[in-house]
Amino acid sequence: MAHFNRHPITPWLLMAPQLIIVGVFFFWPAFQAIEQAFYIEDAFGLSREFTGLTNFISVLSEPEYLETLWTTMVFSFSVALGAMALALGMAVLADRVIRGANTYKTFLIWPYAVAPAVAGVLWLFLFDPTLGILPELLSAIGIDWNHNLNGNQALLLVVLASIWKQMSYNFVFFLAGLQAIPKSLLEAAAMDRAGPWRRFWTITFPLLSPTSFFLLVMNVVYAFFETFGTIDATTSGGPGGSTRTLVYKVYEDGFVGQDLGSSAAQSVLLMVIVGVLTLIQFKYVEKKVQY
Amino acid sequence: MATLTLKQLKKQYPNGYKALHGIDLDFGEGELIVIVGPSGCGKSTLLRTLAGLEDISEGDLEINGKRVNDLEPAERDIAMVFQNYALYPHMSVFDNMAYGLRNRRTPKDEIQQRVSEAAELLGLTELLDRRPKQLSGGQRQRVAMGRAIVRKPQVFLFDEPLSNLDAKLRVQMRLEIRRLQKRLKVTSVYVTHDQTEAMTLADRLVVMNEGHVEQFGTPMALYDKPASKFVAGFIGSPAMNFLDATLEDASEGSGQDATLALPCGARLALRPETTVIDTVINNTLTLGIRPEHLDVLETDSPLPKGAAELNVQVELVEPLGADTLAYCRLAGQTEPLVVRLDGEHVVAEDQQLRLAITPARAHLFGADGRRLTTCS
Repeated sequence: MAHFNRHPITPWLLMAPQLIIVGVFFFWPAFQAIEQAFYIEDAFGLSREFTGLTNFISVLSEPEYLETLWTTMVFSFSVALGAMALALGMAVLADRVIRGANTYKTFLIWPYAVAPAVAGVLWLFLFDPTLGILPELLSAIGIDWNHNLNGNQALLLVVLASIWKQMSYNFVFFLAGLQAIPKSLLEAAAMDRAGPWRRFWTITFPLLSPTSFFLLVMNVVYAFFETFGTIDATTSGGPGGSTRTLVYKVYEDGFVGQDLGSSAAQSVLLMVIVGVLTLIQFKYVEKKVQY
Repeated sequence: MATLTLKQLKKQYPNGYKALHGIDLDFGEGELIVIVGPSGCGKSTLLRTLAGLEDISEGDLEINGKRVNDLEPAERDIAMVFQNYALYPHMSVFDNMAYGLRNRRTPKDEIQQRVSEAAELLGLTELLDRRPKQLSGGQRQRVAMGRAIVRKPQVFLFDEPLSNLDAKLRVQMRLEIRRLQKRLKVTSVYVTHDQTEAMTLADRLVVMNEGHVEQFGTPMALYDKPASKFVAGFIGSPAMNFLDATLEDASEGSGQDATLALPCGARLALRPETTVIDTVINNTLTLGIRPEHLDVLETDSPLPKGAAELNVQVELVEPLGADTLAYCRLAGQTEPLVVRLDGEHVVAEDQQLRLAITPARAHLFGADGRRLTTCS
């Protein structure tokens, strides 16, 4: 029989590449951010002073921060629910297609390959008040579109762009989930006198719940963090901060405003918020999931 | 309870594949009909067209004399037990059984009553709160049947419901299905590829092959008088032996015996009253004889009158307890000849056996595989 020497260092060596990457690109900056959050630094980055919780207190007492938090919530849940609902609809339709199914699927997955900033610009052009096609059409039905002036319209625009970008991802998972449901279950339900609508809500939808739950977590995280590029390229948080999300504010205050202490405190808060949200999802939503 | 009539039922898939070529069948009230055939013979397709899960391309399907071709599965008042049971994994046993009733807006207390009745009938009362994955295979099978029973449908359809169970449980469930069906007296159509299951369950049996009905009748009628070589080979286990044979010297109207010549040299006299159609004279025919109908002769005992003698060498012996199967080599024949012997009959490999074929036990099939009805 072969004899294996278990040297205590071997596992660490094998894990080293991954550990180094996570350490350098995640733990180190995260630790730095946490540290930074307790200091106030001068504008040139030459000296800093330990100030305890001052950064956190000033951030939380800022009305603008709470406004941003509210905007982020509205934005995130609109994006998550919108992207999931549309993707589910598309997946149900694509699942029924027999001829040319692969072509459909490829086209529906494509937007995922588009960079967030490009996706933002694409929608920006579509909705541009002077150049775009859609405002032209909207004006025909009496809607005056100008997201450069109207905050709600601007929010709607970034929500649309973010949904469009994320839908493909959700689509792939929903389609896989649908295809994993045995056809005989739906046939049995059909014989049990359930119409298509009832079959969907009593059989298909409950059986998709593990997929839906996973996607809900992923989509909220996406909406919180990964929509930065889309927002920056489309509205840059404007007009008047109406599309400023928490991540965007971290960037504005830190890199544009050079208030590194406050920015760091905000990222720590952001981490906590997303952590709490995910916890809530696991605690309450997961109970309703049928595995 | 209902009658089921199929008239020239045809099924062609959009890709042009023809699964059913004009099926004509008539099932009576309360009958348990078994459809049997090899994989791909169209039996499952036929069942699915009855259920309404597949469209009918041509022909008519009638329940109680009413054409139901265009009715949705839900409107046909048919319940089906699926091969993989198709239980709803996210619902309890109770909810699984109640689902169909709820969809029909049955009052709550009636649902409660019907489900507990069915549960009691099937011994599921203790399990009503469980989820399907907490049940054994046999229990799942029962829930699937319970789901069909509570709806009190006109017709039950069974799609190979026992194929996922182990051998012992299969026999037990087979008896249970039979008992239940006799008790509920609901017209049932049962699809299987297992000929033992088919023989034991059926009131009447449909043998299918390549989208055609080969024969329809009681199990014993199919066993005694198979209409084709295919049915003969499919019904009965172990399968019927087939020997090449040539019909000689029919001497029309002379009252003389016609003789069947086998390649091994044996000759089987057909009875004088047997009229054999001219066209098959001197043609190659197939003689079929079941393993249990080959008689072993003692070395010195005389050949029964009219019988043909075959001298074979035993190649392989399979003792089954009650019976022993002997696989024998016969001159001029590539396939081994299977003989079913009494379990007490001791045979050794390489031993010589004298076998007798009596004309009454022989089946004769023409070159097209159809039975020559005159040979008896």
